[in-house]
Amino acid sequence: MVVSERRLSLPNNPITGILLAIPAYFFGVWLGTLFGNIDDQNTGVILGYLFATVAFLAGVGFLNYPLERLFGWRVNPVTDPAENRGIGRYLRLSLDHKVIGLQYLVTILLMLLFGGIGAMLIRTSLLVPDASITPSGNYIPLIGLHSVMMIFITSAVIVGPFGNYLVPLMIGARRMAFPRLEALSFWVVPPAAVILAAATFWGGFPTGWTGYPPLSEQAGQGMDSYIVGFTLIAVALVTSGVNMLATIIGLRAPGMTWTRLPIFVWGIFTTSILGLLAAPVLAAALIMLAMDRSLNTSFFIASNGGSNYLWENLFWFFGHPEVYIFILPAFGIIMEIVPHFARKPLWGYRTGVVGLFGVALLSWFVWQHHLFVSGIAPVLRPFYMLSTELISIPTGIIFLVTLGTLWRARVWFTVPMLFCLGFLFNFLIGGISGVYLSDVPTDVTLHGSYFSMAHFHYTIMGGEIFALMAAAYYWLPKMTGKMLSPTIGRIHFWTMFIAFNSTFFPLFIIGLLNMPRRVSTYDPALVGLNRWVTVSAYVLFGSMVLFAGNLIYSWFFVSRPALANPWHARSLEWQVPTPVPARNFDRVPVIVAGPYDYGIPNARPVADLGGIVGVTGGG
Amino acid sequence: MAVRTRYEAAADAEALLDTRLVAIGTWLFLGAEIFFFAAWWFAFFYLRAINNNQGWQGQGVGPPSKGYGAVVVALAVLTAITYFLGSRQASRDLLFRLLTPVALVFGIATSLFQGYEMWHLGFGLTQGGYPAVFSGMTGSWVIQFALATAWLGSVVTQAGPAGDTITRRKPAGSFAWILLFLAAVGIVNYILLYFVA
Repeated sequence: MVVSERRLSLPNNPITGILLAIPAYFFGVWLGTLFGNIDDQNTGVILGYLFATVAFLAGVGFLNYPLERLFGWRVNPVTDPAENRGIGRYLRLSLDHKVIGLQYLVTILLMLLFGGIGAMLIRTSLLVPDASITPSGNYIPLIGLHSVMMIFITSAVIVGPFGNYLVPLMIGARRMAFPRLEALSFWVVPPAAVILAAATFWGGFPTGWTGYPPLSEQAGQGMDSYIVGFTLIAVALVTSGVNMLATIIGLRAPGMTWTRLPIFVWGIFTTSILGLLAAPVLAAALIMLAMDRSLNTSFFIASNGGSNYLWENLFWFFGHPEVYIFILPAFGIIMEIVPHFARKPLWGYRTGVVGLFGVALLSWFVWQHHLFVSGIAPVLRPFYMLSTELISIPTGIIFLVTLGTLWRARVWFTVPMLFCLGFLFNFLIGGISGVYLSDVPTDVTLHGSYFSMAHFHYTIMGGEIFALMAAAYYWLPKMTGKMLSPTIGRIHFWTMFIAFNSTFFPLFIIGLLNMPRRVSTYDPALVGLNRWVTVSAYVLFGSMVLFAGNLIYSWFFVSRPALANPWHARSLEWQVPTPVPARNFDRVPVIVAGPYDYGIPNARPVADLGGIVGVTGGG
Repeated sequence: MAVRTRYEAAADAEALLDTRLVAIGTWLFLGAEIFFFAAWWFAFFYLRAINNNQGWQGQGVGPPSKGYGAVVVALAVLTAITYFLGSRQASRDLLFRLLTPVALVFGIATSLFQGYEMWHLGFGLTQGGYPAVFSGMTGSWVIQFALATAWLGSVVTQAGPAGDTITRRKPAGSFAWILLFLAAVGIVNYILLYFVA
């Protein structure tokens, strides 16, 4: 008997997904009106979003594999990436990690545009000290949408495009461990973004990204968008975490020992641990909130046996590791790129890895510092103050590793390197201001002010987004096969660096002058500073437009093909041809040396690749 | 004798690699699951300890029938153990084909029995912290158990002549750990919700 592969022959693509999602949404809403509370529409909206998401994923093709298995057909869990070529592969379900990386990149950049427009609207509102530009009723939802959209983006902005594309290449693997999970981690992001944006049709949500009850219990249906959208991001974090960790643990090439692992991969490894373990707690909290809103349970309603502190604890147990989910891969990028352009070995490689793990470990023990002003038991304050201050030690170690690598180096000031140096400057300010906020007395004074806002923008935008830009200029030539214009890149860097600091540094002063965040009106005495910040923010936005312009100009107008290894780097991803072959390596490479042996006499090539391209030695 | 297609030969080679990867992935996933259920257990102890407004258990609220709950947990344990034993015999076709359908029947029964209990709790969901935690904790558990049972169904159908080769069945062994984990969570939930509450 001949048994062959059978496939469901459905037209799987996002259009099918959307066509299925629309009726599924209305079916969910209808079902909600049958079983939900008659006094609100929350049940229907939540069910509608969930049904629409499942239908969209089915339309894209995610149910094919389980259904084919259920029908008893013999199906292969992994398809050959060489079977799925052509430009269309970027628009449909693909199991090729390189395609998924680029799908992530485009999606995240589009989301970044919308989040950035939200930021511009916020700053425009603050041109005047009263609420004449944006009424208070609209200002808070605007803050909420901007913040949650940005949280979605920053959760995935490095791991999604760069982690997915580069990790297999950097460890010598020909694929990810679970390509279907990898694809799922991407395909839930567009529905999450659309569902979040749909909150505007319901008047938005008033809670910001933290979703605190009782406000979130009382809010309109926009809050349901927050719940479902955030839950989908939690799903993405878990699936991505399982996939990344299993890939790094199980698919390293022979000779790729733990001490030869590129430091960027360590950054992805540690952040994946955090995402894998923290996101389920968020998912549970969001289910509780959804139940309170749709089934009238009382997890967070104090008058009926619940407690809003339950939410605060669960949310921040996720929320604080979440900020390290943002920054750990950024640390990895910086420590990865700096040795290449310093042409020196990474100074204190093992110490740097310990620093990454130190940050990851301590991030579980600091969450209650977010509750310093929320009525936390006074006896707990010293512990959380100390644990938060302690986290500056591994962070400092990572800084030292980077600075030690730069010490007496003959630095090659490329655009990626400029962004790395910009990161160090910005993150230093962000980190030091964080130490102030970890101290209870200072935090009690500054927590609700723009000082806190300036702090986290210095760490996330000044840190993670600068690292993202460094990664983009460094790795996009490998990922897209096109070099970006270095001239526009330099203009972009300097504009962004100056405008960023001009935007956010004055916010420390504004915060010290007691301007509260999340409020659309302020003391008229602060109008000058606020206008300065707003104009700087416009320039900052303009610098991002410049980046987008550089992408379009370099890809479509100049089209300068990238060499296989334009930076003369040693690490493995640069040793494969550009564009990267469908199966990455002709045969599994054998790793024979570390990736950072620059300047070491007679250093061995990093790998035996079977001679597909030249391998950079230690020079 | 069946003729091996080129797909099957390649897939069998991948299956050997996948056996290890799936084992790693399963343990990682269980790590996430522990944190997920720990959040519910935290909610249980937190709300029970705080007992805000004496609202942990409202008027007339108490655990449902302990006997019925024990039956549900017993079925879950039987599902997991039967599948575990079957999956250990993945290379022995007959035992695998015999035990996995039995596990599937137990799994379906678990989901149905738990679903029936949730429709007949004897208290309203709005009657305090305990009903909220009971419905959330049990609901999250049974949904996951039902999904696992659906996957178990695919393992059973794949045991047919057109399904997986014996080599490609090996990664399915790791799935036993997920069922065992869910059964263990069922036991913990049972102790908390029916006795500690």
